[in-house]
Amino acid sequence: MTDRPSRRSFLVTVGAVTLAGCSSLVGGGSESVSRGEVSNVTVVGGEKPPNEPANAPPVSDRTLPVPVPLEELQSHAQDGGPPKDGIPSIDEPKFVSPGEVSGLADGSTVLAVTGPEPKAYPRRILVHHEIVNDEIDGTPVSVTYCPLTGTAQGFDRGETEFGVSGQLINNNLVMYDRELERWWPQIPAVSIPGPWHDTAGGVTLREFEVVRTTWGQWRSAYPETAVLSTDTGSARNYNRDPYGSRGYYESDETIFPNIYTDAEDQFHAKEWFYGARTAEGAAAFRRQRLHDEGVVRGSIGDRPVVAVHDPELDTAYVYRNPGEVSLDHEGDGVVTGDGERFAPDELPLDRIISFDAYWFAWFAYYPNTEVYA
Amino acid sequence: MGAVRRTAGAVRLALGDRRAVAVVGLATVAYLLTYLYAIDKLTPGNGEFGLVVAAQPWEAFFRQGFGTFTYEPVALVRLGVVTYQFSLNTLIGLAIAILVGVNVGLSYFVWRQPASCGVGSRSAGLFAGVPALLSGAACCGPIVALIFGIQVTSGLLVVFEWLLPISALLLVGTLLLVGRQVDPVAASQ
Repeated sequence: MTDRPSRRSFLVTVGAVTLAGCSSLVGGGSESVSRGEVSNVTVVGGEKPPNEPANAPPVSDRTLPVPVPLEELQSHAQDGGPPKDGIPSIDEPKFVSPGEVSGLADGSTVLAVTGPEPKAYPRRILVHHEIVNDEIDGTPVSVTYCPLTGTAQGFDRGETEFGVSGQLINNNLVMYDRELERWWPQIPAVSIPGPWHDTAGGVTLREFEVVRTTWGQWRSAYPETAVLSTDTGSARNYNRDPYGSRGYYESDETIFPNIYTDAEDQFHAKEWFYGARTAEGAAAFRRQRLHDEGVVRGSIGDRPVVAVHDPELDTAYVYRNPGEVSLDHEGDGVVTGDGERFAPDELPLDRIISFDAYWFAWFAYYPNTEVYA
Repeated sequence: MGAVRRTAGAVRLALGDRRAVAVVGLATVAYLLTYLYAIDKLTPGNGEFGLVVAAQPWEAFFRQGFGTFTYEPVALVRLGVVTYQFSLNTLIGLAIAILVGVNVGLSYFVWRQPASCGVGSRSAGLFAGVPALLSGAACCGPIVALIFGIQVTSGLLVVFEWLLPISALLLVGTLLLVGRQVDPVAASQ
Protein backbone atom coordinates (compact mmCIF):
# COMPACT_ATOMS: atom_id res chain seq x y z
CA MET A 1 0.00 0.00 0.00
CA THR A 2 2.78 2.39 -0.62
CA ASP A 3 3.97 4.58 -3.39
CA ARG A 4 7.26 4.48 -5.12
CA PRO A 5 9.45 7.15 -3.61
CA SER A 6 9.39 9.96 -6.06
CA ARG A 7 13.16 10.01 -6.15
CA ARG A 8 15.01 6.86 -6.99
CA SER A 9 18.36 6.70 -5.35
CA PHE A 10 20.31 5.72 -8.45
CA LEU A 11 18.82 8.57 -10.41
CA VAL A 12 19.73 10.95 -7.66
CA THR A 13 23.25 9.67 -7.96
CA VAL A 14 23.20 10.22 -11.70
CA GLY A 15 21.76 13.69 -11.18
CA ALA A 16 24.33 14.48 -8.54
CA VAL A 17 27.14 13.41 -10.83
CA THR A 18 25.64 15.38 -13.71
CA LEU A 19 25.54 18.41 -11.52
CA ALA A 20 28.97 17.80 -10.06
CA GLY A 21 29.76 20.52 -7.61
CA CYS A 22 26.09 21.31 -7.17
CA SER A 23 25.10 18.22 -5.18
CA SER A 24 23.81 20.30 -2.32
CA LEU A 25 21.24 21.70 -4.72
CA VAL A 26 19.67 18.34 -5.49
CA GLY A 27 16.77 16.76 -3.61
CA GLY A 28 16.70 17.10 0.13
CA GLY A 29 13.76 17.55 2.43
CA SER A 30 12.01 14.23 1.75
CA GLU A 31 11.82 11.71 4.55
CA SER A 32 11.19 8.13 3.56
CA VAL A 33 8.82 6.55 6.09
CA SER A 34 6.55 3.54 6.37
CA ARG A 35 2.83 4.19 6.59
CA GLY A 36 1.71 4.81 10.16
CA GLU A 37 5.23 5.44 11.34
CA VAL A 38 4.89 9.20 11.75
CA SER A 39 3.97 10.13 15.30
CA ASN A 40 3.89 13.91 15.28
CA VAL A 41 0.74 14.46 13.18
CA THR A 42 -0.90 17.73 14.21
CA VAL A 43 -4.59 18.59 14.16
CA VAL A 44 -5.62 22.17 13.45
CA GLY A 45 -8.75 24.29 13.08
CA GLY A 46 -12.02 23.93 14.93
CA GLU A 47 -12.26 27.41 16.38
CA LYS A 48 -12.85 30.67 14.64
CA PRO A 49 -9.95 32.94 15.53
CA PRO A 50 -10.84 36.32 17.05
CA ASN A 51 -10.64 39.54 15.04
CA GLU A 52 -10.93 37.97 11.62
CA PRO A 53 -11.35 40.80 9.11
CA ALA A 54 -14.72 40.91 7.43
CA ASN A 55 -13.18 40.33 4.04
CA ALA A 56 -11.08 37.31 5.04
CA PRO A 57 -12.06 33.96 3.55
CA PRO A 58 -14.92 32.38 5.55
CA VAL A 59 -13.66 30.16 8.31
CA SER A 60 -14.83 26.60 8.75
CA ASP A 61 -15.27 24.87 12.10
CA ARG A 62 -13.62 21.74 10.71
CA THR A 63 -10.65 20.19 12.44
CA LEU A 64 -8.16 18.68 10.03
CA PRO A 65 -4.81 16.91 10.25
CA VAL A 66 -1.52 18.31 8.99
CA PRO A 67 1.66 16.20 8.85
CA VAL A 68 3.87 18.53 10.87
CA PRO A 69 3.35 21.61 13.05
CA LEU A 70 2.38 24.65 11.00
CA GLU A 71 5.67 26.52 11.42
CA GLU A 72 7.47 23.45 10.15
CA LEU A 73 4.99 23.16 7.28
CA GLN A 74 5.90 26.68 6.25
CA SER A 75 9.58 25.72 6.27
CA HIS A 76 8.78 23.13 3.57
CA ALA A 77 7.40 25.82 1.25
CA GLN A 78 9.45 25.82 -1.92
CA ASP A 79 9.68 28.31 -4.72
CA GLY A 80 8.03 26.59 -7.67
CA GLY A 81 9.46 28.98 -10.26
CA PRO A 82 6.58 31.33 -11.02
CA PRO A 83 6.37 34.50 -8.94
CA LYS A 84 3.20 35.48 -7.08
CA ASP A 85 0.37 35.46 -9.65
CA GLY A 86 2.86 34.30 -12.31
CA ILE A 87 0.20 31.64 -12.81
CA PRO A 88 -2.74 34.01 -13.16
CA SER A 89 -6.02 33.07 -11.55
CA ILE A 90 -9.18 33.67 -13.58
CA ASP A 91 -11.01 36.42 -11.75
CA GLU A 92 -13.77 37.28 -14.20
CA PRO A 93 -14.73 33.91 -15.62
CA LYS A 94 -17.03 33.67 -18.60
CA PHE A 95 -19.19 30.66 -19.29
CA VAL A 96 -20.69 29.11 -22.37
CA SER A 97 -23.31 26.47 -22.98
CA PRO A 98 -22.31 22.93 -24.04
CA GLY A 99 -23.35 23.73 -27.61
CA GLU A 100 -20.89 26.63 -27.74
CA VAL A 101 -17.91 24.56 -26.60
CA SER A 102 -15.37 23.77 -29.29
CA GLY A 103 -12.28 21.62 -29.30
CA LEU A 104 -13.14 19.77 -26.09
CA ALA A 105 -13.15 16.02 -26.77
CA ASP A 106 -15.58 13.77 -24.93
CA GLY A 107 -12.66 12.12 -23.18
CA SER A 108 -11.15 15.40 -21.97
CA THR A 109 -11.04 15.88 -18.23
CA VAL A 110 -13.31 18.45 -16.66
CA LEU A 111 -13.42 19.50 -13.03
CA ALA A 112 -17.02 20.08 -12.17
CA VAL A 113 -19.32 21.27 -9.44
CA THR A 114 -22.76 19.72 -9.01
CA GLY A 115 -25.76 21.41 -7.42
CA PRO A 116 -28.47 23.75 -8.65
CA GLU A 117 -26.00 25.57 -10.89
CA PRO A 118 -23.80 22.83 -12.38
CA LYS A 119 -20.54 24.10 -13.82
CA ALA A 120 -17.68 22.44 -15.65
CA TYR A 121 -14.14 23.77 -15.66
CA PRO A 122 -12.09 22.12 -18.40
CA ARG A 123 -8.79 20.93 -17.02
CA ARG A 124 -7.02 22.20 -20.15
CA ILE A 125 -7.85 25.74 -18.92
CA LEU A 126 -7.23 25.19 -15.21
CA VAL A 127 -3.83 23.66 -15.86
CA HIS A 128 -2.76 27.18 -16.94
CA HIS A 129 -4.57 29.15 -14.22
CA GLU A 130 -5.07 26.79 -11.24
CA ILE A 131 -7.68 29.03 -9.59
CA VAL A 132 -11.02 30.34 -10.83
CA ASN A 133 -12.55 32.98 -8.58
CA ASP A 134 -16.18 32.42 -9.37
CA GLU A 135 -19.65 32.71 -7.93
CA ILE A 136 -21.89 29.66 -7.77
CA ASP A 137 -25.53 29.94 -6.81
CA GLY A 138 -24.85 33.37 -5.32
CA THR A 139 -21.87 32.27 -3.21
CA PRO A 140 -18.36 33.56 -3.97
CA VAL A 141 -16.15 30.53 -4.38
CA SER A 142 -12.76 29.50 -5.73
CA VAL A 143 -12.44 26.36 -7.79
CA THR A 144 -8.83 25.28 -7.51
CA TYR A 145 -6.67 22.74 -9.29
CA CYS A 146 -3.06 21.73 -8.78
CA PRO A 147 -1.57 20.04 -11.86
CA LEU A 148 1.37 18.56 -9.98
CA THR A 149 -0.74 16.73 -7.38
CA GLY A 150 -3.87 16.25 -9.51
CA THR A 151 -6.08 17.72 -6.79
CA ALA A 152 -9.22 19.75 -7.52
CA GLN A 153 -10.91 21.36 -4.52
CA GLY A 154 -13.52 24.08 -4.05
CA PHE A 155 -13.45 26.72 -1.33
CA ASP A 156 -15.68 29.55 -0.17
CA ARG A 157 -13.75 32.77 -0.63
CA GLY A 158 -16.06 35.39 0.87
CA GLU A 159 -15.40 38.90 -0.40
CA THR A 160 -11.78 38.25 -1.26
CA GLU A 161 -10.12 36.17 -3.97
CA PHE A 162 -7.50 33.49 -3.94
CA GLY A 163 -4.35 33.75 -6.05
CA VAL A 164 -1.42 31.47 -6.84
CA SER A 165 1.47 32.28 -4.51
CA GLY A 166 4.14 30.56 -6.62
CA GLN A 167 5.08 28.48 -3.58
CA LEU A 168 4.64 24.73 -3.32
CA ILE A 169 4.49 22.33 -0.39
CA ASN A 170 4.69 18.65 -1.29
CA ASN A 171 4.52 19.80 -4.94
CA ASN A 172 1.06 21.12 -4.07
CA LEU A 173 -0.35 24.54 -4.83
CA VAL A 174 -0.05 27.11 -2.04
CA MET A 175 -2.81 29.68 -2.53
CA TYR A 176 -2.88 33.10 -0.95
CA ASP A 177 -5.87 35.25 -0.16
CA ARG A 178 -5.80 38.76 -1.56
CA GLU A 179 -7.21 40.32 1.60
CA LEU A 180 -4.58 39.32 4.16
CA GLU A 181 -2.09 37.54 1.90
CA ARG A 182 -2.12 34.52 4.14
CA TRP A 183 -0.78 31.28 2.68
CA TRP A 184 -3.23 28.41 2.21
CA PRO A 185 -1.83 25.08 1.00
CA GLN A 186 -4.57 23.52 -1.10
CA ILE A 187 -4.72 19.88 0.06
CA PRO A 188 -4.84 20.51 3.83
CA ALA A 189 -7.06 23.60 3.25
CA VAL A 190 -5.56 25.41 6.21
CA SER A 191 -3.76 28.72 6.68
CA ILE A 192 -0.12 28.53 7.62
CA PRO A 193 2.35 31.18 8.75
CA GLY A 194 3.92 32.98 5.84
CA PRO A 195 6.17 35.90 5.06
CA TRP A 196 3.40 38.06 3.61
CA HIS A 197 1.30 38.24 6.77
CA ASP A 198 2.06 37.74 10.42
CA THR A 199 -0.47 35.15 11.59
CA ALA A 200 -0.01 31.83 13.31
CA GLY A 201 -2.24 30.00 10.84
CA GLY A 202 -4.41 27.04 11.71
CA VAL A 203 -7.65 28.35 10.19
CA THR A 204 -9.48 25.82 8.01
CA LEU A 205 -11.38 26.79 4.89
CA ARG A 206 -14.97 25.99 4.03
CA GLU A 207 -14.64 23.42 1.32
CA PHE A 208 -16.88 21.76 -1.24
CA GLU A 209 -16.36 18.86 -3.59
CA VAL A 210 -15.12 19.24 -7.13
CA VAL A 211 -15.73 16.20 -9.30
CA ARG A 212 -13.09 15.04 -11.72
CA THR A 213 -14.77 13.44 -14.72
CA THR A 214 -14.80 13.55 -18.50
CA TRP A 215 -16.56 16.10 -20.64
CA GLY A 216 -18.67 13.38 -22.31
CA GLN A 217 -19.87 11.95 -18.99
CA TRP A 218 -20.51 15.35 -17.46
CA ARG A 219 -22.41 16.69 -20.45
CA SER A 220 -24.63 13.62 -20.51
CA ALA A 221 -25.33 13.86 -16.77
CA TYR A 222 -25.79 17.64 -16.76
CA PRO A 223 -26.86 18.74 -20.24
CA GLU A 224 -27.76 22.20 -18.90
CA THR A 225 -24.27 22.75 -17.47
CA ALA A 226 -22.34 25.98 -17.85
CA VAL A 227 -18.78 25.54 -19.11
CA LEU A 228 -15.83 27.79 -18.39
CA SER A 229 -14.98 29.64 -21.60
CA THR A 230 -11.52 29.80 -23.10
CA ASP A 231 -12.15 33.55 -23.34
CA THR A 232 -10.18 34.22 -20.15
CA GLY A 233 -8.42 37.42 -21.17
CA SER A 234 -5.22 35.42 -21.54
CA ALA A 235 -3.45 34.41 -24.75
CA ARG A 236 -2.39 31.04 -23.42
CA ASN A 237 -2.60 27.94 -25.57
CA TYR A 238 -5.28 25.78 -23.97
CA ASN A 239 -4.59 22.97 -26.40
CA ARG A 240 -1.20 22.49 -24.80
CA ASP A 241 -0.60 21.10 -21.32
CA PRO A 242 2.86 22.26 -20.19
CA TYR A 243 3.18 19.33 -17.79
CA GLY A 244 1.60 16.61 -19.92
CA SER A 245 3.66 17.54 -22.96
CA ARG A 246 6.80 16.76 -20.97
CA GLY A 247 5.57 13.45 -19.58
CA TYR A 248 4.92 14.57 -16.01
CA TYR A 249 1.72 12.58 -15.55
CA GLU A 250 3.32 9.30 -16.58
CA SER A 251 6.58 9.87 -14.73
CA ASP A 252 7.17 8.09 -11.44
CA GLU A 253 9.12 11.13 -10.28
CA THR A 254 8.04 14.38 -8.72
CA ILE A 255 9.66 17.68 -9.57
CA PHE A 256 10.10 19.00 -6.04
CA PRO A 257 10.76 17.27 -2.71
CA ASN A 258 7.96 15.99 -0.49
CA ILE A 259 7.86 16.01 3.28
CA TYR A 260 7.24 12.27 3.37
CA THR A 261 7.73 9.57 0.77
CA ASP A 262 6.59 6.02 1.31
CA ALA A 263 9.44 3.69 2.14
CA GLU A 264 7.53 0.64 0.91
CA ASP A 265 7.26 1.85 -2.64
CA GLN A 266 4.28 -0.18 -3.90
CA PHE A 267 2.43 2.37 -6.00
CA HIS A 268 3.37 4.53 -8.92
CA ALA A 269 3.74 8.09 -7.69
CA LYS A 270 0.87 9.21 -9.96
CA GLU A 271 -1.54 6.37 -9.09
CA TRP A 272 -5.01 7.84 -8.53
CA PHE A 273 -6.61 7.64 -5.11
CA TYR A 274 -9.75 9.16 -3.64
CA GLY A 275 -8.76 10.71 -0.37
CA ALA A 276 -10.82 11.82 2.61
CA ARG A 277 -9.54 13.38 5.81
CA THR A 278 -11.15 14.25 9.12
CA ALA A 279 -9.97 15.14 12.61
CA GLU A 280 -9.51 11.39 13.18
CA GLY A 281 -7.08 10.92 10.31
CA ALA A 282 -7.20 10.10 6.61
CA ALA A 283 -8.17 7.32 4.24
CA ALA A 284 -7.25 6.72 0.61
CA PHE A 285 -9.24 4.49 -1.74
CA ARG A 286 -7.51 3.37 -4.90
CA ARG A 287 -9.50 4.49 -7.90
CA GLN A 288 -9.18 1.19 -9.73
CA ARG A 289 -10.48 -0.82 -6.78
CA LEU A 290 -13.49 1.45 -6.39
CA HIS A 291 -14.14 1.19 -10.11
CA ASP A 292 -13.98 -2.61 -9.90
CA GLU A 293 -15.89 -3.19 -6.65
CA GLY A 294 -18.29 -0.26 -6.50
CA VAL A 295 -18.39 -0.11 -2.70
CA VAL A 296 -15.34 -0.23 -0.43
CA ARG A 297 -15.65 -0.17 3.35
CA GLY A 298 -12.93 1.24 5.52
CA SER A 299 -12.23 3.50 8.45
CA ILE A 300 -10.65 6.78 9.34
CA GLY A 301 -9.07 6.30 12.72
CA ASP A 302 -11.60 4.05 14.46
CA ARG A 303 -14.60 5.56 12.65
CA PRO A 304 -16.13 3.38 9.92
CA VAL A 305 -16.46 4.98 6.50
CA VAL A 306 -17.58 3.74 3.12
CA ALA A 307 -16.55 4.84 -0.37
CA VAL A 308 -19.02 4.46 -3.22
CA HIS A 309 -18.23 4.57 -6.92
CA ASP A 310 -20.44 6.64 -9.20
CA PRO A 311 -20.32 5.03 -12.65
CA GLU A 312 -22.19 7.88 -14.29
CA LEU A 313 -19.29 10.28 -13.65
CA ASP A 314 -16.63 7.69 -12.84
CA THR A 315 -15.99 9.37 -9.53
CA ALA A 316 -16.50 8.40 -5.89
CA TYR A 317 -18.01 9.70 -2.67
CA VAL A 318 -17.00 8.91 0.89
CA TYR A 319 -19.49 8.69 3.77
CA ARG A 320 -19.28 8.17 7.48
CA ASN A 321 -20.88 4.83 8.20
CA PRO A 322 -21.16 4.61 12.01
CA GLY A 323 -23.84 1.93 11.84
CA GLU A 324 -21.75 -0.02 9.32
CA VAL A 325 -24.76 -0.14 7.04
CA SER A 326 -24.56 -2.90 4.47
CA LEU A 327 -24.32 -1.49 0.95
CA ASP A 328 -24.12 -3.13 -2.44
CA HIS A 329 -23.53 -1.60 -5.82
CA GLU A 330 -26.21 -2.43 -8.37
CA GLY A 331 -26.16 -0.85 -11.79
CA ASP A 332 -25.86 2.90 -11.39
CA GLY A 333 -27.06 2.89 -7.79
CA VAL A 334 -26.40 1.55 -4.32
CA VAL A 335 -28.75 -0.81 -2.48
CA THR A 336 -28.84 -0.98 1.32
CA GLY A 337 -29.37 -4.17 3.31
CA ASP A 338 -33.03 -3.10 3.66
CA GLY A 339 -33.41 -3.14 -0.11
CA GLU A 340 -33.60 0.64 -0.45
CA ARG A 341 -31.95 2.01 -3.53
CA PHE A 342 -30.03 5.29 -3.68
CA ALA A 343 -27.95 7.19 -6.18
CA PRO A 344 -24.25 7.01 -5.19
CA ASP A 345 -24.23 10.71 -4.27
CA GLU A 346 -27.47 10.58 -2.28
CA LEU A 347 -26.90 7.99 0.42
CA PRO A 348 -28.60 8.82 3.74
CA LEU A 349 -25.23 9.06 5.49
CA ASP A 350 -22.95 12.00 6.36
CA ARG A 351 -20.74 12.76 3.39
CA ILE A 352 -17.07 13.52 3.98
CA ILE A 353 -15.37 15.77 1.49
CA SER A 354 -13.16 13.70 -0.76
CA PHE A 355 -11.09 14.38 -3.84
CA ASP A 356 -8.78 12.63 -6.27
CA ALA A 357 -5.07 12.90 -5.62
CA TYR A 358 -1.90 11.35 -6.86
CA TRP A 359 -0.67 8.80 -4.37
CA PHE A 360 2.61 10.59 -3.64
CA ALA A 361 0.76 13.79 -2.75
CA TRP A 362 -1.75 12.10 -0.46
CA PHE A 363 1.01 10.22 1.36
CA ALA A 364 3.19 13.32 1.63
CA TYR A 365 0.43 15.11 3.54
CA TYR A 366 -1.12 12.10 5.30
CA PRO A 367 1.64 9.56 5.97
CA ASN A 368 -0.52 7.70 8.46
CA THR A 369 -3.41 7.34 6.03
CA GLU A 370 -5.47 4.19 5.90
CA VAL A 371 -5.16 2.68 2.44
CA TYR A 372 -7.72 0.60 0.56
CA ALA A 373 -6.05 -0.59 -2.60
CA MET B 1 38.60 46.96 -25.89
CA GLY B 2 41.08 45.52 -28.36
CA ALA B 3 39.23 42.21 -28.47
CA VAL B 4 35.90 44.00 -28.95
CA ARG B 5 37.28 46.16 -31.76
CA ARG B 6 38.89 43.17 -33.37
CA THR B 7 35.68 41.12 -33.05
CA ALA B 8 33.59 43.96 -34.47
CA GLY B 9 35.96 44.15 -37.41
CA ALA B 10 35.79 40.38 -37.88
CA VAL B 11 31.99 40.43 -37.80
CA ARG B 12 31.96 43.22 -40.40
CA LEU B 13 34.24 41.15 -42.57
CA ALA B 14 32.07 38.05 -42.15
CA LEU B 15 28.96 40.03 -42.98
CA GLY B 16 30.62 40.99 -46.22
CA ASP B 17 30.75 37.35 -47.20
CA ARG B 18 27.47 36.17 -48.72
CA ARG B 19 27.85 32.58 -47.60
CA ALA B 20 28.73 33.63 -44.05
CA VAL B 21 25.67 35.90 -44.02
CA ALA B 22 23.53 32.97 -45.12
CA VAL B 23 24.95 30.88 -42.29
CA VAL B 24 24.21 33.69 -39.80
CA GLY B 25 20.63 33.92 -41.04
CA LEU B 26 20.05 30.18 -41.04
CA ALA B 27 21.55 29.68 -37.58
CA THR B 28 19.56 32.62 -36.17
CA VAL B 29 16.25 31.38 -37.52
CA ALA B 30 16.97 27.77 -36.57
CA TYR B 31 17.93 28.71 -33.04
CA LEU B 32 14.94 31.02 -32.56
CA LEU B 33 12.53 28.32 -33.72
CA THR B 34 14.23 25.76 -31.47
CA TYR B 35 14.09 28.15 -28.53
CA LEU B 36 10.40 28.92 -29.05
CA TYR B 37 9.66 25.21 -29.35
CA ALA B 38 11.67 24.46 -26.20
CA ILE B 39 9.72 26.99 -24.15
CA ASP B 40 6.39 25.78 -25.56
CA LYS B 41 5.69 29.00 -27.44
CA LEU B 42 5.78 27.22 -30.80
CA THR B 43 3.76 24.03 -30.72
CA PRO B 44 2.01 21.70 -33.14
CA GLY B 45 -1.32 23.17 -34.21
CA ASN B 46 -4.74 21.55 -34.33
CA GLY B 47 -5.62 22.66 -37.85
CA GLU B 48 -7.41 25.81 -36.70
CA PHE B 49 -6.62 29.36 -37.77
CA GLY B 50 -7.16 32.41 -35.60
CA LEU B 51 -5.73 35.15 -33.42
CA VAL B 52 -6.30 35.74 -29.70
CA VAL B 53 -4.89 38.87 -28.07
CA ALA B 54 -4.60 39.16 -24.28
CA ALA B 55 -7.10 41.50 -22.65
CA GLN B 56 -4.37 43.78 -21.28
CA PRO B 57 -1.44 43.12 -23.61
CA TRP B 58 0.97 45.75 -22.27
CA GLU B 59 0.48 44.66 -18.69
CA ALA B 60 0.85 41.02 -19.68
CA PHE B 61 3.89 41.64 -21.87
CA PHE B 62 6.16 42.35 -18.90
CA ARG B 63 4.52 39.93 -16.47
CA GLN B 64 6.64 36.95 -15.50
CA GLY B 65 5.08 33.59 -16.14
CA PHE B 66 6.51 30.21 -15.24
CA GLY B 67 9.75 31.66 -13.92
CA THR B 68 12.52 34.18 -14.29
CA PHE B 69 12.96 35.21 -17.93
CA THR B 70 9.66 33.57 -18.87
CA TYR B 71 6.90 35.99 -19.75
CA GLU B 72 3.16 35.88 -20.28
CA PRO B 73 2.07 35.53 -23.92
CA VAL B 74 0.16 38.48 -25.30
CA ALA B 75 -0.95 36.99 -28.60
CA LEU B 76 -1.86 33.48 -29.67
CA VAL B 77 -1.62 32.81 -33.38
CA ARG B 78 -3.11 29.61 -34.76
CA LEU B 79 -1.67 28.81 -38.16
CA GLY B 80 -3.12 25.39 -38.87
CA VAL B 81 -0.14 23.13 -38.38
CA VAL B 82 1.54 25.30 -35.77
CA THR B 83 0.44 27.51 -32.92
CA TYR B 84 2.65 30.42 -31.95
CA GLN B 85 2.49 32.56 -28.83
CA PHE B 86 4.07 35.98 -28.97
CA SER B 87 5.64 37.23 -25.75
CA LEU B 88 8.70 39.08 -24.52
CA ASN B 89 10.40 35.69 -24.83
CA THR B 90 10.32 36.02 -28.60
CA LEU B 91 12.47 39.15 -28.31
CA ILE B 92 14.76 37.55 -25.73
CA GLY B 93 15.01 34.48 -27.93
CA LEU B 94 15.73 36.63 -30.97
CA ALA B 95 18.58 38.41 -29.15
CA ILE B 96 20.15 35.10 -28.17
CA ALA B 97 19.48 33.65 -31.61
CA ILE B 98 21.32 36.57 -33.22
CA LEU B 99 24.26 35.94 -30.90
CA VAL B 100 24.20 32.26 -31.81
CA GLY B 101 23.88 33.13 -35.50
CA VAL B 102 26.81 35.53 -35.44
CA ASN B 103 28.89 33.01 -33.48
CA VAL B 104 28.19 30.26 -35.97
CA GLY B 105 28.53 32.59 -38.99
CA LEU B 106 31.85 33.92 -37.76
CA SER B 107 33.07 30.42 -37.01
CA TYR B 108 32.11 29.43 -40.56
CA PHE B 109 33.93 32.46 -41.91
CA VAL B 110 37.02 31.63 -39.86
CA TRP B 111 36.87 28.00 -40.97
CA ARG B 112 36.75 28.99 -44.63
CA GLN B 113 39.65 31.40 -44.53
CA PRO B 114 43.22 30.22 -45.11
CA ALA B 115 45.40 30.60 -42.03
CA SER B 116 47.59 32.99 -43.93
CA CYS B 117 44.70 35.48 -44.06
CA GLY B 118 45.12 36.45 -40.42
CA VAL B 119 43.06 33.63 -38.98
CA GLY B 120 44.19 31.78 -35.86
CA SER B 121 42.76 28.55 -34.50
CA ARG B 122 39.74 27.49 -36.51
CA SER B 123 38.39 25.24 -33.77
CA ALA B 124 37.65 28.06 -31.34
CA GLY B 125 34.28 28.65 -32.96
CA LEU B 126 33.11 25.25 -31.82
CA PHE B 127 32.71 26.79 -28.38
CA ALA B 128 29.79 28.75 -29.74
CA GLY B 129 27.65 25.66 -29.71
CA VAL B 130 28.07 25.00 -25.99
CA PRO B 131 26.26 28.02 -24.56
CA ALA B 132 23.64 27.66 -27.27
CA LEU B 133 22.86 24.23 -25.90
CA LEU B 134 22.92 25.63 -22.37
CA SER B 135 20.36 28.28 -23.10
CA GLY B 136 18.18 25.67 -24.73
CA ALA B 137 18.17 23.77 -21.46
CA ALA B 138 17.40 26.98 -19.61
CA CYS B 139 14.10 27.36 -21.41
CA CYS B 140 12.28 24.42 -19.97
CA GLY B 141 12.50 25.30 -16.31
CA PRO B 142 12.22 22.78 -13.52
CA ILE B 143 10.23 20.28 -15.58
CA VAL B 144 13.45 19.22 -17.35
CA ALA B 145 14.59 17.92 -13.97
CA LEU B 146 12.30 14.95 -14.64
CA ILE B 147 14.65 13.88 -17.40
CA PHE B 148 17.49 13.59 -14.91
CA GLY B 149 15.32 12.02 -12.23
CA ILE B 150 16.24 14.69 -9.75
CA GLN B 151 14.16 16.99 -7.61
CA VAL B 152 14.42 20.72 -7.68
CA THR B 153 15.37 22.57 -4.54
CA SER B 154 15.46 26.34 -4.22
CA GLY B 155 19.17 26.38 -4.98
CA LEU B 156 18.80 24.33 -8.14
CA LEU B 157 15.91 26.53 -9.22
CA VAL B 158 18.23 29.53 -9.07
CA VAL B 159 20.68 27.69 -11.30
CA PHE B 160 17.89 27.02 -13.82
CA GLU B 161 16.77 30.62 -13.72
CA TRP B 162 20.23 31.98 -14.43
CA LEU B 163 21.13 29.63 -17.26
CA LEU B 164 19.67 32.02 -19.80
CA PRO B 165 21.78 35.10 -18.91
CA ILE B 166 24.78 32.86 -18.30
CA SER B 167 24.46 31.40 -21.77
CA ALA B 168 24.07 34.90 -23.24
CA LEU B 169 27.31 35.92 -21.54
CA LEU B 170 29.04 32.78 -22.76
CA LEU B 171 27.90 33.51 -26.30
CA VAL B 172 29.40 36.99 -26.09
CA GLY B 173 32.57 35.41 -24.68
CA THR B 174 32.88 32.86 -27.47
CA LEU B 175 32.21 35.58 -30.03
CA LEU B 176 35.15 37.55 -28.65
CA LEU B 177 37.19 34.37 -28.53
CA VAL B 178 36.61 33.67 -32.21
CA GLY B 179 36.71 37.32 -33.25
CA ARG B 180 40.05 38.06 -31.68
CA GLN B 181 41.64 35.36 -33.81
CA VAL B 182 40.85 37.26 -36.96
CA ASP B 183 43.28 39.91 -38.02
CA PRO B 184 40.98 42.23 -39.97
CA VAL B 185 43.90 43.82 -41.81
CA ALA B 186 45.38 40.53 -42.97
CA ALA B 187 41.98 38.96 -43.62
CA SER B 188 40.84 41.86 -45.79
CA GLN B 189 43.86 41.64 -48.08
